[in-house]
Amino acid sequence: MSLLTVQNLKMHYPVRSGVFRRARQVCKAVDGVSFSLKEGETLGLVGESGCGKSTVAKSVVRLLKPTAGTIHFEGQDITRSGAGDLRRFRREMQMVFQDPAESLNPRHTIGQILEEPFVIQKLGTPAERIEWSTELLRRVGLPEDSTNRYPFEFSGGQRQRIGIARALALKPRLIVCDEPVSALDVSVQAQVLNLLLELQNDFKLAYLFIAHDLSVVQHMSDRVAVMYLGKIVELAPATELYRNPRHAYTKALLDAIPEADPSRRRERHLLKGDVPSPINPPEGCAFGHRMRHPRWKESVGIDLTLRELAPGHWVQPCPCCVE
Amino acid sequence: MKKRLLEVRNLRVGFQTEQGLLTAVDDVDFTLECGKMMGLVGESGCGKSVTARALMRLLEQPSGRVLGGEVILEGRDVLTLPLEAMRRIRGKEIAMIFQEPMTALNPVHRVGRQIVENILLHQEIGTRAALRRAVELMEWVGIPAPDERINDYPHQLSGGMRQRVMIAMALSCNPRILIADEPTTALDVTVQAQILDLIKRLQKDTGMAVILITHDLGVVAETCDDVAVMYAGRIVERGPVGTVFQAPLHPYTKGLMSCLPRLDHPPKTMLPIIPGIVPGLRDLPPGCRFASRCPYPHGAEVTTNRQPWRECGGGHGVEACACFANTI
Repeated sequence: MSLLTVQNLKMHYPVRSGVFRRARQVCKAVDGVSFSLKEGETLGLVGESGCGKSTVAKSVVRLLKPTAGTIHFEGQDITRSGAGDLRRFRREMQMVFQDPAESLNPRHTIGQILEEPFVIQKLGTPAERIEWSTELLRRVGLPEDSTNRYPFEFSGGQRQRIGIARALALKPRLIVCDEPVSALDVSVQAQVLNLLLELQNDFKLAYLFIAHDLSVVQHMSDRVAVMYLGKIVELAPATELYRNPRHAYTKALLDAIPEADPSRRRERHLLKGDVPSPINPPEGCAFGHRMRHPRWKESVGIDLTLRELAPGHWVQPCPCCVE
Repeated sequence: MKKRLLEVRNLRVGFQTEQGLLTAVDDVDFTLECGKMMGLVGESGCGKSVTARALMRLLEQPSGRVLGGEVILEGRDVLTLPLEAMRRIRGKEIAMIFQEPMTALNPVHRVGRQIVENILLHQEIGTRAALRRAVELMEWVGIPAPDERINDYPHQLSGGMRQRVMIAMALSCNPRILIADEPTTALDVTVQAQILDLIKRLQKDTGMAVILITHDLGVVAETCDDVAVMYAGRIVERGPVGTVFQAPLHPYTKGLMSCLPRLDHPPKTMLPIIPGIVPGLRDLPPGCRFASRCPYPHGAEVTTNRQPWRECGGGHGVEACACFANTI
């Protein structure tokens, strides 16, 4: 059974303008996203900025209330759960944020930061909480005497370890990682990625792993979903997606990644234009529209729900982007 | 015959702080040849941006200052020029583009005016001709409908377009050297590919030399001719991109290259890592600065004695730390 099932998730925001702040336009940040996640599995989510990956992340842990669609966690519908229910569910699902400097309270000591989940969930005695938080520090590879220090005393990579320790505190089954390494240097990035893999092994964690760096996502994930303008355009096992991309956007993304190997320098097929705005997105296939594909018109009005082309390999059946 | 355009010799830059004088760039040497693209790579805090700012004499004042060394641009030492002469070099001979074009552009002026300003500063032409030139430049850097975009404010443009405006501005006076400080870090990969492609194309068109500062080894491998790897204020290895990436010598360069996740590797396997973190500027040893993270066995003397520089032929040079020097 899936740990997490997201069906047709939509997150629309009104864009207000004019004197009376009327909602004149709709920003479709996430527009019909479905996926599922098994225990101990990692689903990677990639796409350019503004494609809605972070909105998906925040909806999954219910920091946002989706406009439409359902989110089932451990078989229960949490789409409309209230604060009380959510508190219970959040023991099971946690989040690691992009910027560890901004997601740790600068006025709290590391001890306070790590004990807070226990305080909120009313778990343990003060002495137990201290014991648990030192154990967490040990687990993520930080010195145990860090409890009395403040976030500013740590480097970016160490702060991210603290963020991970906090997410681990309640022994969750799912951790949503929103760009966990994009603020880190390469040498530190590898350390944090290894830590995440180790923890996944030890605690059978499921990750929803979001990043804009396709090579990082590919490295961390069992399956990868590629998002474009609020929709998943392709979802496949990680190696399959890299070896055999089917959607034109996935191909373009893969092609744009600079490889650290000068012998493989190649002519690249550059994408033209920018990521379009999710406010009033084009009809039909958004990517075909950006590419001014001659067959884009054919995608208007047809059902673009993902189809399974090969076992586990799902693609938007778009006439202009998929051969 | 290769022509040396810019020579940096023993450059040292420090910042006066509450904790005393911190040396951010310590003894940096490199040569930039005409029409070449050199990558300056390293992690944050390694001194790559400070080096670039020192070349432009744009160090943060009053704390930052050059402690020693020379920057020779066609026979003149840029570091000792009077300010007035320096102002003529900046923007005209050496131009610079920055990471975040939103903060580098003035938000309350139209982009056209900002391009024109630079042209009028360095060239003796009228406003109208300068405007025409600005439109041409914007077209050249691939901004669609430039005669309309010229009246836009920076916030009306996307990140990629803003970076193109920055590039147009930098190239308005045909500089001989372009310093690009993390020009694509704030951009998406697809837009990054566009901008890098643009910089390469413009470089070919104009024959200018480019110093590309980045933390992304992939970007260097795809675009640069030469590369210099910096660590904690020093260049630890430099040479042609092909040689350095194929056969890196310094353990730091090796570590950096192996710890990158690659698309063709099997997923969910442990990556080789460089243990530890970059040492702070306050506690840098006089010798090898990588010693505390170095995987090779080494004695204490490598941290107390400055390790010699060794040229290995073909322009490939490395700080030959005793821990690996006998293997070269």
